[in-house]
Amino acid sequence: MNGKEEAKKRTQLLKRLREEHKDTVARTQALLKEQNAIRKQICQVMRDAPKTVPEVAEATGLPASQVLWHVTAMKKYNLVVETGMCGEYYLYRRVEETKI
Amino acid sequence: MASDKLRVDALVVGGGIAGMQSALDLADQGYQVALVEKEASIGGKMIALSKVFPTLDCCSCITTPKMSAVAHHRNIHLLTYCEVQSIRENGGGFVAQVLKKPRYVNEDLCTGCRQCEYACPIDLPDPFDRGYGAHRAIRVPFSTAVPQIAVLDIENCLLCGKCEQVCPVSAVDFTQTPQQLEIEAGSIVLATGYEVTPRDAKKEYGGGKLPNVIDALFMERLLAPTGPYGHVLRPGDGKEPESIAYVQCAGSRDQTLGVPYCSRVCCMYAIKQAMLISGALPLADVTIYYMDIRTFGKGYEQFYQNAKAMGIEFVKGKVARITEDENQNPIVRVELIDEGSRVVERTHDLVVLSVGMLPRYNPQPLYGVPVADDGFVEVPSPNISPCVTDRPGIFVTGTAAGPMDIVDSIMTAGAAASEAAAYLRARKSASSVSTTTGKERELVYA
Ligand SMILES: Cc1cc2nc3c(=O)[nH]c(=O)nc-3n(C[C@H](O)[C@H](O)[C@H](O)COP(=O)(O)OP(=O)(O)OC[C@H]3O[C@@H](n4cnc5c(N)ncnc54)[C@H](O)[C@@H]3O)c2cc1C
Repeated sequence: MNGKEEAKKRTQLLKRLREEHKDTVARTQALLKEQNAIRKQICQVMRDAPKTVPEVAEATGLPASQVLWHVTAMKKYNLVVETGMCGEYYLYRRVEETKI
Repeated sequence: MASDKLRVDALVVGGGIAGMQSALDLADQGYQVALVEKEASIGGKMIALSKVFPTLDCCSCITTPKMSAVAHHRNIHLLTYCEVQSIRENGGGFVAQVLKKPRYVNEDLCTGCRQCEYACPIDLPDPFDRGYGAHRAIRVPFSTAVPQIAVLDIENCLLCGKCEQVCPVSAVDFTQTPQQLEIEAGSIVLATGYEVTPRDAKKEYGGGKLPNVIDALFMERLLAPTGPYGHVLRPGDGKEPESIAYVQCAGSRDQTLGVPYCSRVCCMYAIKQAMLISGALPLADVTIYYMDIRTFGKGYEQFYQNAKAMGIEFVKGKVARITEDENQNPIVRVELIDEGSRVVERTHDLVVLSVGMLPRYNPQPLYGVPVADDGFVEVPSPNISPCVTDRPGIFVTGTAAGPMDIVDSIMTAGAAASEAAAYLRARKSASSVSTTTGKERELVYA
């Protein structure tokens, strides 16, 4: 089988699986949409200067625990970095090329 | 890769420290061992811990070599992401039907490079970090996982195909299906471990509701170098806590929860964590609210005395309730036993519940091995044969048999391996037919 045929087969398989797992795909897509909307807000707040979790929470209106969870996830996958402390809180900055 | 049929001397069920050690002890004696672990990596609870009492050794540093030793031992067949579905007896031995769950990743091709994980767009709560950290729908389970092979969680997958596109060795395989495997074994060692008390078990403590009330397993992750925040921060808002309290017996010695027994490790792990916090946050105050401090092991009492000398505050009292103030600081309402049972309320930045050990797996239906009143595997003669179950040929090790620490889990692992070896030898001499042949066996019977 050549590369083109293989790619076609893979695409067809994914399409079939998406059909079979319709509910999962709908649920995860909704989750991703929500995740991206939150990340966009967080990145916007961090655009000009590093921020602490409570600062982001106040600016976005999101619960601080939720902001921390997303910042933690973004830090793990190198979308956000820590840049020192402000009082009892760490400061986080968006990595330049982060696109949500 | 495992073949469809496997013939071994011993089947070890569970790849925590107890199961790994039993497998190694048997394999080192020349026995062929199959180790079946239901998760995608071996390591159990221990690999998630920060440092261990009483030595304060780095947990990863002592667990990871054991994990690799298991994976590379020529006498051990490691079967991760597998579950035993049925057991039947066969001429004095056992035949296990094992289900190999699909990883949707070709185990022979995956190099653990994690490019799939970085490409996956969706973040999910990571149970390894008690839900406070994130992982992707496809991921290597954790940084020191063994085997270093990705696993795809199809139940939370977008089926976008991005992982497949970036995999440099074309290991992602959406066509995988569950596989059946048959294991014939002369004996079985149960090492299925324990669970901790759910943090919301005692409603009056607010666990699961108050964001700054956590369980001790999460504190282990906060203290570990691979923890989700990289620092000890409280999950409510990321604040570095200045005042941390421990509530002991939060799930043990508690009739209201149906757990009358002592979990045996909570005093020691709380003292250990308090010491580690003092190192990580030198300015923080740590208070331990306790009923009794039980430091029964070798060197454990000294460990406790060292903690007191370091300035950790031990307060004898039973915590009645935990609420929070307007800044989500937990307020602990406690009866101070040494001060005429005066009831006070003290505010802290973070409260850690010293949750107890609960049975995790009931082997009765599958293995015909009964559990005791406490739910842990019953051992009919605990004084004489602490690893021998009610069913000949089936042995138990580690916390599957009851609450115990790592030292005792390792000890019972050796004991269970010895019992299994003795059983196999007796069986062998009873029937002159050898179950396994090979060079290693000569070592045993030489
Ligand atoms: C917060 C905390 C801190 C602690 N700190 C320390 C310390 O510093 N020092 C110390 O000595 N002890 C400590 N302990 C205790 C220690 O965690 C245990 O003693 C030890 O991990 C027990 O190991 P185990 O192998 O018996 O169980 P586990 O680690 O639970 O392993 C059981 C394994 O079996 C697998 N499994 C379960 N069911 C099945 C099944 N049906 N089929 C296949 N696989 C299955 C599980 O996935 C798991 O991998 C601590 C405990 C807690 C809660």
